[in-house]
Amino acid sequence: MNYKHITEIVDSASLLSLSPEEVEQVNKHAEECESCRKAVAAARISALAMRARAQEEFRVQPSPFFQTRVLAAWREQQSVESGPAFLRLWKSASALVSSMALATIALGVLTFVYPEPATAVEQVASTDAAEAVIFDQPDEQLTYEQVLSTIYADEDEAK
Amino acid sequence: MEGWLTRIATNTCLNMIRGSKRRPELTVSDLTEDESSWLDQQLNEKVGSVENEIVAADLADRLLGTLSPEDQQALLMIDGENASIKEVAEATGWSESKVKVRAFRARKKIRESMEKLLGYKGTRAEQVSK
Repeated sequence: MNYKHITEIVDSASLLSLSPEEVEQVNKHAEECESCRKAVAAARISALAMRARAQEEFRVQPSPFFQTRVLAAWREQQSVESGPAFLRLWKSASALVSSMALATIALGVLTFVYPEPATAVEQVASTDAAEAVIFDQPDEQLTYEQVLSTIYADEDEAK
Repeated sequence: MEGWLTRIATNTCLNMIRGSKRRPELTVSDLTEDESSWLDQQLNEKVGSVENEIVAADLADRLLGTLSPEDQQALLMIDGENASIKEVAEATGWSESKVKVRAFRARKKIRESMEKLLGYKGTRAEQVSK
């Protein structure tokens, strides 16, 4: 068997698909011929690479937008399961709304039920209230005698 | 109807292959580190992992890229998809002898390219310097 003959066998079909008889014939010759041995080795590796390529095509590969579509579908399903928008909002903000309502009620109670006692400033203001009322009145509503009697009332009582 | 659809699919694939860039020759310097180590593993007849299969598929793609679109088509269908000569002839509209010749020529060219990559034809140093 010469070199040309064995390469014809090797190139006539994929080395992985040769019949057992052909494989035996090729191996037998390859043991004696170095160049044929190299040709067989190269053909074997080429056939393995081709097979790997064919298997790679059949391997499941998600499309680039697969993950996006899956996430969109999952979110849609979640929104349907969780009910109307108001309930979803209430679920997420119920704690905040409740605490705000309690704070408002507490402020109302403190304001209207327990009013604050009068301060010292307010008490001082009340002693001068008479003069303040007079001085704040427009001039045309008070007579001159009324003003004098109010201002000098204390001095007259002391005398 | 089936034959008509097959012919359309085949012609579409051929046009896609024609559209891809064809390299005249693949040399050792073109190989990636992974591809080179995969070749070494195969020479030592070690069993590869899934990652290595991917590397092998990429290498096959690059080797196929050195062939004409028609030769690629014939080799892919016969050696890749295990199609018979007759099936390829029906799908492509070529005669069976033409399919055989194309597949034979494609295998021979790929084997010779592989021999060069393995350093069987010319030293690796010469190939790297190219």
